Amino acid sequence: MGKLDGKVACITGGTRSIGRAMADAFLAEGAKVVVNGRDAAKGQQCLDEMNAGDNAAFFAGDASKQDAVEGLIDFTIERYGQLDICCLNSGGVNMTAPVAQMSDEEWQLEIDWNLNHVFWGMRRALQHMIPRETGRVIVTSSVEGKLGKPGIPGYAATKHAVNGLVKAAAHETGTLGITVNAILPGLIETDIVRATGPDSAVAMGLGSYENLIEAFSSESAIKRPNTVEEVAAVAVLLASDAAKNMTGCMFPVDGGTMPY
Amino acid sequence: MGVLDGRVACITGGTRGIGLGIAKGFLDEGASVVVNGRDPNKAEQTLAELNAGDRVHFIAGDVKLREHCEAIVDGTVEHFGRIDILVANAGGASGHAPIVDLTDEAMQDSMVWNFWHTFWTMRRAFHYMIPQQYGRFMSVSSLEGKVGKPGISIYVAAKHAINGLTKSAAHEVGTLGITVNALCPGAIETDIMMAEGPAAAESMGMDYEGLLNMFAQESAIKRLNEVEDVAAVATLLASEAGGGITGSLISIDGGTAPY
Repeated sequence: MGKLDGKVACITGGTRSIGRAMADAFLAEGAKVVVNGRDAAKGQQCLDEMNAGDNAAFFAGDASKQDAVEGLIDFTIERYGQLDICCLNSGGVNMTAPVAQMSDEEWQLEIDWNLNHVFWGMRRALQHMIPRETGRVIVTSSVEGKLGKPGIPGYAATKHAVNGLVKAAAHETGTLGITVNAILPGLIETDIVRATGPDSAVAMGLGSYENLIEAFSSESAIKRPNTVEEVAAVAVLLASDAAKNMTGCMFPVDGGTMPY
Repeated sequence: MGVLDGRVACITGGTRGIGLGIAKGFLDEGASVVVNGRDPNKAEQTLAELNAGDRVHFIAGDVKLREHCEAIVDGTVEHFGRIDILVANAGGASGHAPIVDLTDEAMQDSMVWNFWHTFWTMRRAFHYMIPQQYGRFMSVSSLEGKVGKPGISIYVAAKHAINGLTKSAAHEVGTLGITVNALCPGAIETDIMMAEGPAAAESMGMDYEGLLNMFAQESAIKRLNEVEDVAAVATLLASEAGGGITGSLISIDGGTAPY
């Protein structure tokens, strides 16, 4: 008996790191899961590793593109007949910079990837969930949804924006059996952080990737980065029936970093 | 296999309401649990309801007294050999009035019942948790630890104080394997709410039904929360997976708190 028996989930950016940990945890609790990612080869590798047979599927697509995000929702419903849990998890930065040096292209990418992707996915998912009067929308936000570090203005701005979107959507759907929540992790050494962290560290005036990790860790009470499993455990709770009365919540997984 | 197998928990005010719900949640996940209450006569009923044999133990004590708070923590260690999880759950307030009419006694009583009890149990629990480099402390704070309503300032002030203590404590013990968090539920119709709610409502210029309706209408879900909502979050925080969550004021309020 799993906490998510019979439920169907989709996860943007689900082949690696936080999204992958959510997928593994959801499968372990009895859900069927569609994971999304840009790279079909990584998608196949993910399915092979999860070894979940018909309970898992992959949908290729770039989460910064509307057709891919909406396509994931539609594919999940087509494949498994319903969508109960929509995890809008993908996000990040590419070549971030301080505001004065920020390019239009990077700014637009971050808006599309971190904010518009969440809106597109949430809208499509709610159109399916509202008539069914059941559903869970879980957004992977960030401590930067409440804070604001120099050098990552687009990330801070878009994560603040998704937090606002989550609160508004929670109140729109609160009586319809649907919850909408955000998880706010502290720094986690995910693949995307390892890939873009060195450039982000320079933009933030921290010099090196190691200094970036140290800067985030030292702000926390636990003096270490968080882990993907810590986020996945919260996602399972929010996806489960036990959390039916939790909505509009900014759930912190940040080792005591945020002041509120 | 539960997520709390082998863990020992102590819950103040654990014979009814939220505390009883948390006790059930912990027992279901394999923990041994001490429940506390003022009235030894209620213990038998509580233990029968929990039906967990040797894994549950009752310690009588009044959380408004420091020596009782410390005895509850010490008694947990004496009985089960250690303490991994402490839930400072007891609390409430009586003597509600607008500040202009508020008595010293009402403010003092609320601060002792909610805040001092949390501090006393935390300090004592840390004596055990710091040497063992492991612990989960959580308080049952409130939505009113984040916001403030007129007429119930004794409760609002005490719960805000708990939230501040939580943040400080989290940073003091953050590298020692100990987490400290506050659960912030919205209104739940517990025994305490039924007992104290009518007076609180009167102080706020409404009747009890109006009070419950006001809390429900503020939320996104337009209904009150339930003890099981709080128990589910408490179980997560108490588990290994909760090790990266500390200093957090977690809203379990159906979307009421603004942050």
